[in-house]
Amino acid sequence: MTAVVLDMSISVDGFVAGPDDGPEHGLGIGGEVLHAWLADGDGDPSSYRPADEAGALVFDEGLATGAVITGRHTFEYAGRWGGDHHDGVPVFVLTRTVPDEPAPGHARYVTDLAACVAQAKAAAGDRNVLLHGATAAQALLRAGLVDEVALHVVPVLLGAGRRLFDDLPPDHVELDLVRVLDGPDVQHLHYRVRREG
Amino acid sequence: MATIRLYMTISLDGYVTGPRDDAENPLGIGGFRLFNWLDLRNDPGPSGQVYAEGTATRAVIAGRRTFELAGRWNGDHHDGVPILVLTHDVPDEPPPGSAHYLTDVRECAAQARAAAGEGDVLVHGAGAAQALLRAGELDELELNVVPVLLGQGRRLFDGLPAERVELELVRRLVTEDAAPAQRVMHLRYRVLSRGRSGPPAGTP
Repeated sequence: MTAVVLDMSISVDGFVAGPDDGPEHGLGIGGEVLHAWLADGDGDPSSYRPADEAGALVFDEGLATGAVITGRHTFEYAGRWGGDHHDGVPVFVLTRTVPDEPAPGHARYVTDLAACVAQAKAAAGDRNVLLHGATAAQALLRAGLVDEVALHVVPVLLGAGRRLFDDLPPDHVELDLVRVLDGPDVQHLHYRVRREG
Repeated sequence: MATIRLYMTISLDGYVTGPRDDAENPLGIGGFRLFNWLDLRNDPGPSGQVYAEGTATRAVIAGRRTFELAGRWNGDHHDGVPILVLTHDVPDEPPPGSAHYLTDVRECAAQARAAAGEGDVLVHGAGAAQALLRAGELDELELNVVPVLLGQGRRLFDGLPAERVELELVRRLVTEDAAPAQRVMHLRYRVLSRGRSGPPAGTP
């Protein structure tokens, strides 16, 4: 069964980027610390694989997904991943306005949330769908379309920046903590959204 | 020296109450969900341990808002230890029991450390936590993280300056055997430093 897995690095105070994030500075001021658990890389996504066992495991899980859902901000701030997030799987970019210029590579713009998730799941087949970016996360959470939450919690307070959990309705979403892994200076928490009944 | 340690229960999305908390409904709408784990406060196991550690502290720091919403604890939070209440305006009426009003956060921290002696200091309330963090007087955070998204409410971490505070995870206790509604993860962090070039906080 294909699960939509929200996958984000986050500070203890809940930020996924520092202040003033933008196309030139995707993680905002001081936000780089949130991705320090990933290896340096050199433009090739697979080269960000951490050396430690826990980091490598969660990294591999992210790259074993069969489709990606992201928001327009994240897509642009990440340089559109050069059109290929990993292994050429389809990248569905949620946006309010589809630009004239088509998305590069394996990416496509979508405006309808339900259709986006349905298409991503279909494309992923028996693999999971990777959900990335705060705005897209909030859109799917509001619609009850997130199945699992994988948080890479970095032991730091940023004080300000872009929050992962923001602008949500006051509806309780119950979760089960299904796995905790420790890496150097990061805690990998994996939650599953509990469904009623 | 006494450790000043924040004890707070938060949802996974960082709220310490549900929305619209006020005097009549101090935990906000639905905020009671956060405190189911306290059903296990007297049981052996992680939650009992954390609760016992909190009530073994020798002084309490709270913000005025928390103090009032908690009914001033009738002047005794636990064991008659001093309660230092941070407030912007000291009221004319003196506080009950072992409580004292203070307006200066550093003075408050110094008095709490002195009062706690060989023990530790329990901090309670988002306002007090933020004031102590800003002043670099918070040494540790014991966060009871409940596996629920509340969506809205009062945040623990809010209104802080864009200054990086380095933490170190020193302990994690997970209630694996508890019923789903009572499950919680107790995370203890030590504050290592604040600011990119500021002095270390809470050095012994």
